[in-house]
Amino acid sequence: MAISANIESDAEESEYLEQIERLPTHEREGQLFWKLRLRETRSQLRHLFAHSRMRTYLVIGLSVFFWVGLFILFYLGFDFVVGQVGMPGATYHAQTVQFVFTLFFMSLQIMLVFSAGIILYGGLYASQETDHLLTLPVRDSRVVLYRFQESLFFSSWGFFLLASPMMIAYGIVVAAPWYYYAYLPWLMISFAYIPCAVGAIFCLLLISRVPHLRRIVVGFVALLVVAVAYSSIWHTLDIKDADLLGAAWFKQTFRRFEFTRGEWLPSTWLSNGLLEAARKQPVDQGDLPWFESGKYLIVLLSNAMFLHIILLWVGGLIYRTSYYGLHSRQARETHVHMAWIDRLAEKLMWFLPRDTQLLIVKDIRLFRRDPVQWSQFIIFFGLLMLYFANIDRFRQHRQDISVLAWVNIVSFLNLAVVGLILSTFTTRFIYPLISLEGRRFWILGRLPIERDSILWGKFLFASCGSWLPCAGLVIASDVMLKVSLMVFVIHQFICLMLCIGLSGMAVGLGAMMPDFREQSPSKIAAGFGGTLNLVLSAIYILLTVLLTALPCHFYFMANESRLHTQIVPPANLHIWLSLGLVGVVLLAVVVTIVPLASGLRAFRKLEV
Amino acid sequence: MILFEDATRTFGNRTAVEKLNLSVGKGELVALLGHNGAGKTTSIKMLVGLLQPSFGRVKVGPYVVNENLREASRLVGYVPDQPFLYDKLSAREFLEFVAELYGLTASEVRVAVQREVERFQLGSFLDRLTESYSHGMRQRTVFAAALIHQPEVLVVDEPMVGLDPQCIRLVKDFLRFYADSGKTVLMSTHTLEIAEEIADRVAVMNASKLVFDGTVAQLREKVPGVLGTLESLYLALTTETGNLSNTNGEAIEHSPNPVIEP
Repeated sequence: MAISANIESDAEESEYLEQIERLPTHEREGQLFWKLRLRETRSQLRHLFAHSRMRTYLVIGLSVFFWVGLFILFYLGFDFVVGQVGMPGATYHAQTVQFVFTLFFMSLQIMLVFSAGIILYGGLYASQETDHLLTLPVRDSRVVLYRFQESLFFSSWGFFLLASPMMIAYGIVVAAPWYYYAYLPWLMISFAYIPCAVGAIFCLLLISRVPHLRRIVVGFVALLVVAVAYSSIWHTLDIKDADLLGAAWFKQTFRRFEFTRGEWLPSTWLSNGLLEAARKQPVDQGDLPWFESGKYLIVLLSNAMFLHIILLWVGGLIYRTSYYGLHSRQARETHVHMAWIDRLAEKLMWFLPRDTQLLIVKDIRLFRRDPVQWSQFIIFFGLLMLYFANIDRFRQHRQDISVLAWVNIVSFLNLAVVGLILSTFTTRFIYPLISLEGRRFWILGRLPIERDSILWGKFLFASCGSWLPCAGLVIASDVMLKVSLMVFVIHQFICLMLCIGLSGMAVGLGAMMPDFREQSPSKIAAGFGGTLNLVLSAIYILLTVLLTALPCHFYFMANESRLHTQIVPPANLHIWLSLGLVGVVLLAVVVTIVPLASGLRAFRKLEV
Repeated sequence: MILFEDATRTFGNRTAVEKLNLSVGKGELVALLGHNGAGKTTSIKMLVGLLQPSFGRVKVGPYVVNENLREASRLVGYVPDQPFLYDKLSAREFLEFVAELYGLTASEVRVAVQREVERFQLGSFLDRLTESYSHGMRQRTVFAAALIHQPEVLVVDEPMVGLDPQCIRLVKDFLRFYADSGKTVLMSTHTLEIAEEIADRVAVMNASKLVFDGTVAQLREKVPGVLGTLESLYLALTTETGNLSNTNGEAIEHSPNPVIEP
């Protein structure tokens, strides 16, 4: 009996071994994942062109517009630089262009490390797909590589969009030889691969060693990088105007940013590779520019391949244990209480019906407890605040009428930027509110409240919630630019109108075109309705700002410069400005009432 | 075929599964029962390689799961409580992908896909993108993917949630058939009627410990004085576990802090 059991067990084991031996090789696994990716991409593209044509064309069109704009900017910039320092081979050319290139690529390099690491973290540790793959007989290193390729793509497309017009513009300006353009894609790809792989390895090590401190470590390093960058920029610009862009300033700045030109940095290899390839004239007889540039390309390629191997090795070694470590932490029990902010909001809304108050407080709580929403809000508005805090350079020239005119224009541009940022938030967070509510509509739908009050609640929440930070930002800009009281008041008025109009549009369109099948707010916002809301918002902001910026500008010019313009007599400027303000109000009424009224009608008839 | 040996999983200072000793042989269908947070899903995750035991070990066939992950995964088919499908793939494409990852050849893939399509009646939506599937369609597709390589062990976490009666019947019949064909099935469920109807044995977990492992008839002996369905026996067992000892021969104590599984 024992012998027959043993024979049976051996037969089973050999059967298992046979099954295991048939598992795909590393290369075959790679092919299967590429096949999966191709099938998904094909399906995604087909879907995009079939169902989101407008959005797709809009994204392509805007990307082309952005690329061409950057190209022109870089072309003019390099044309100016070459005019000042000569063509490649000239004494100061390499120094100047290298300074620009290394600084630019160094900044992008750091961003790539962070973005690749963060995206990979989401892909490897917080993805249902990865959980699924980990239950299949797939090598851990393959899962890491599969996810890394994704993070590489998503983190580096911005780099290609920014760097390609710059490099092509430089090539054209300096009449670079053909091999400059032949090397270009390989230089860029191999460069982008290195910081992304470093970010990925750092991410794996961080989660493997200190999973509970991951956010603190990333936050601390990010803060450190921002502090160093801010301090460098501050010291560079903190100089008397007379010395700005002078020889001494340039030398000092060149020395200050020496750390960006370290010989061991991929950004330096890329910069040197580009400069060598762009050079047509050999320095001496044995000097071959294409060969010199090729050496840098080989350095970049070999380092990228080396890091690829290291990433696979580290991934195979520690990924699974780091995954276990992260998922074996104690679940945090979050106890929530009535926060002071909820009580304050309730008090501030004393004049509203009780049910509307409750709906708004509910939305405030959801917003507060969703870090995705408020963290993006803080990052974008924080960056704007940082920018506004640094625009006081105009103060030094307050006697110069052309500078004063610029101050006026910049103040309106700042207002438009605040509006545009707000429109991305209303599209991303306010527009999907009704669609998301639809899935839980049985809760609200069965309550003894008017459906209208749900929509009004969302409108009030959006307009009041957006007005406070936007007004603060516009005040900061105006204070730094020291605009006149009249312009200050006009800006605050326009800001209020923008907040009301953008919120009304987002809530109204959201109710008119709800998508109850989709659970992800970002996907709802990326649909047709969301794109329409974004486009209409941009048009509304531009019209509103133009309606007041133009008369304000002429009024300002007429009064400040004592120039009595022939085109518009000063007396008429008051009327023009007043008409502009009336136009702003009418426009705000239209963009608020029309979508809201249609949204209310659609919402009353809503069946989920 | 499945063996938990003192398998323990802690999350910080909380124990989700404590010294679990459970074996499931070939041709057996065992239903894992327990309250929410009792440790069922954690046990299953240790079995399929998504969690590592803090102590003890889990074996599938001759392989210790955490030491021979790839080998153990080849023998297991897993249907999770929250199944994953690629939105932008059709069921056919998804099944082909999974089958090829298990090393099936092109002709074997075709045969396997056809077999599962017929078994789970996927034909009407096989070439549609999975993003348009109902819950029942998704669940059937996930079952088909888990079985595409005819695994020795099928692990199913809450298989009946959200399914219509027709689907439930299909799944129940299939699970019984699969065990009868010599394979091993471990099913976690809250639906006691289903466990009573198709399981060979029930394993009851309460507050991270295994408090009973045996047939329903043995459970009746274990909880004297309680007659009727598995539900009444289960409720009596799980509310009285403080007075009972578990299958490891240790006194059961209710944890003051119920474990929250990740």
